[in-house]
Amino acid sequence: MIEFFGFLAHQAPLVTVLAPAFGALLVTLFGRGKAEAGLPLALISLSLSSVGAVVTLFHVLASGGELRYRLGGWAPPFGIEYRIDALAALTAAAVVLVGLVNAVFSKTRVAAEAGEKAPFFYTLYLFLLAGLCGIVFTNDAFNLYVLIEITSLTSYALIAMGNRRAALSSFNYVIMGTVGASLYLLGVGYLYIKTGTLNIDGMRAAMAEAGIWGDASITVAFILILVGLWTKMAFFPLHGWMPNAYSYAPTAVGTLMAPLMTKVMVYVMLRVMLFAFGADFSYGGAGCGDIVVALSTVAIVAGSLLALARSDIKKMLTYLIVAEVGYMVGGAWVGNEAGLTGAAYHILSDAAMTFCLFMAVSIIVLRTGDHRLTAFTGLFRKMPLTMIGFTVGALSMIGLPPTCGFFSKWYLVGGGIEAGRWDYVVALLFSSLVNAVIFFRIFERAYFGEMDEPAPAGDDADSRPSQPLERVPWSMLVPLFLAAAAVLLVGLFNNTLAGWLRAALAI
Amino acid sequence: MKLFGLIAVIIVGALLLSATGDFPDFGDPQSPASASPLSTHYIEGSVYETKVPNLVTAVLADYRGFDTMFETVVIFVAGIGIIAVLRAFGTPAAELPEGGGEEGDDDLIIRTTCNLVFPVIQVFALYVVAHGHHSPGGGFQGGVMLGASYILLALSCGLPAAKRRLGERQTIVLAAIGVIVFAGWGVACVLFGGNFLDYAALDPIIPGDVQMARSHSMLGVEIGVAFTVTAIMFVIYANLSTRGRLRDGL
Repeated sequence: MIEFFGFLAHQAPLVTVLAPAFGALLVTLFGRGKAEAGLPLALISLSLSSVGAVVTLFHVLASGGELRYRLGGWAPPFGIEYRIDALAALTAAAVVLVGLVNAVFSKTRVAAEAGEKAPFFYTLYLFLLAGLCGIVFTNDAFNLYVLIEITSLTSYALIAMGNRRAALSSFNYVIMGTVGASLYLLGVGYLYIKTGTLNIDGMRAAMAEAGIWGDASITVAFILILVGLWTKMAFFPLHGWMPNAYSYAPTAVGTLMAPLMTKVMVYVMLRVMLFAFGADFSYGGAGCGDIVVALSTVAIVAGSLLALARSDIKKMLTYLIVAEVGYMVGGAWVGNEAGLTGAAYHILSDAAMTFCLFMAVSIIVLRTGDHRLTAFTGLFRKMPLTMIGFTVGALSMIGLPPTCGFFSKWYLVGGGIEAGRWDYVVALLFSSLVNAVIFFRIFERAYFGEMDEPAPAGDDADSRPSQPLERVPWSMLVPLFLAAAAVLLVGLFNNTLAGWLRAALAI
Repeated sequence: MKLFGLIAVIIVGALLLSATGDFPDFGDPQSPASASPLSTHYIEGSVYETKVPNLVTAVLADYRGFDTMFETVVIFVAGIGIIAVLRAFGTPAAELPEGGGEEGDDDLIIRTTCNLVFPVIQVFALYVVAHGHHSPGGGFQGGVMLGASYILLALSCGLPAAKRRLGERQTIVLAAIGVIVFAGWGVACVLFGGNFLDYAALDPIIPGDVQMARSHSMLGVEIGVAFTVTAIMFVIYANLSTRGRLRDGL
């Protein structure tokens, strides 16, 4: 019996990645043109995957460090291996849980927006999640690329299934995303030429052994990989593809990708910096730490100001994500424990709060049929439950305790002060201020606005939902409350989570 | 905008060139990628560990089989993505009546030649798949040839003729089954107590010794790859050439 549980615990990472993949294949086989087809299989496979992720997390914590899993049974340099620490297990758990909750949230929308193509939609949706989990677990630089390819292809197709403007937004994303992925691959190629291995830990060991830290090609590889990942995570000024892609995508895709894609890419950046190249090179030898922190300062300020200038709700949120990406990149690059912990913790907290806000806003846009800030007029009376969820997410964005947004800012600001990067600290506080302006402006309208103020005729009919909701179903409200609860729980247990992350990142 | 692009290209080009200076010489046997324990092990050991003389296939389908499985998924996802974006379901009369007008319009010589070549291509494609672990070839190459044979049929005799041999539903099912064969093979290894895709675990049910279990498993997963690639090649052609209506075609 104990052996059996040991077997299950050993295979748990595999279940996390493969359950959605098999779910996707079965949806393709058995879903035939019906709008509801695929949902039960998606829910079952994502539940299995969530169980796998949670078991993996407990197994990692119990083993007190990291798990390794040899795919194909081959020892690391010859085969591909998984390496799972607390950060990886937590990120993977966040990915599949968001995927599962979002599948429930969007069940009515997929039927309405994808229609007969719903089975294909779920196939792509599940493979996207499988790819994201694989990215998080793998310890092989090329396997990482293959999985980036899967997540990219699925997300291009998913976004293009949105409204009439979605196809062009998706095409922009295809171009930017392909450039980003190619740069990453070029960087990995350079590293392979210099080290002769694709294993992420092996690369660091080989570079240390050969003592080639000073070589120009290593620095170039580092820059190529970083710029590639920055394109994928929409780091200002490489964010151009994101606002349109996320706001014109189908509802279910916006709420899935906004919390996950950029965050997983930040995770990959941390892996590359700390494990493929090592902290000594990333913060010392590469010599670009100061510049990157300055860039992230610019990203935070620009993202906040661009968000302030938007009247389209979803676009405003996407620009807030641009600012949040700046938080994480800056935290990762100030080069001390507090900053790194903050960046890693913010992966989780930003996933929770972006998910919460995107769901709330999707409900509001669908219910009111208005995609601008005017939609909020008088909403506290009209849709009190949705607005509770929105408020929790908004307060977290502003950074009020006890929401998780407060604690991630706490760590990040601490890291900035410790490193003496006052520009970064000021940018963080400025962004909080701007978020406060943005969201209190909305609260004011939602509390005091007249309810029957006629909605202005939208100038772009394409971005309006085709079928407004008559009433908000519980299948949308319960996921929203779950996300709001996650925002609070991640905040309340910040000490525990930060402790695990600190242990995982200490190398 | 063009100027901006030019500047970006120059910067990236300069960056890439600046790094080539300390690369190992072209073809240098002592370069890290050639002299590392990794390459040496593949070159010297793979034939003993897997009994597969084509070491490219051994690396592709066994040592790094997990990558190849996801590459197959990439192809599968590309096809499904094209259907999800392009396919126009619900257009009335999506199927033309059997023996529809455009079939007779084609040139007799072209049709006859293509009909003659069609089986030859397929037999050769099957050989490429089946012999992939012994000589150059494999699931991807053979799959592309199989897919090309259907595309040739569609080009010469019209899409309906090709669809009679490989219908839309069949292609989607075939593509999914291909990935299931690959991933299912890996799961079978888990059920027999190994890690995922650890073909050695299948020794009890595959005739021959442990190395032959690996060799036969490679053939098995290559066949899965061939299924998916065949189906998706045809899906891509059929959807792109008819703007997702699956009628007429080029």
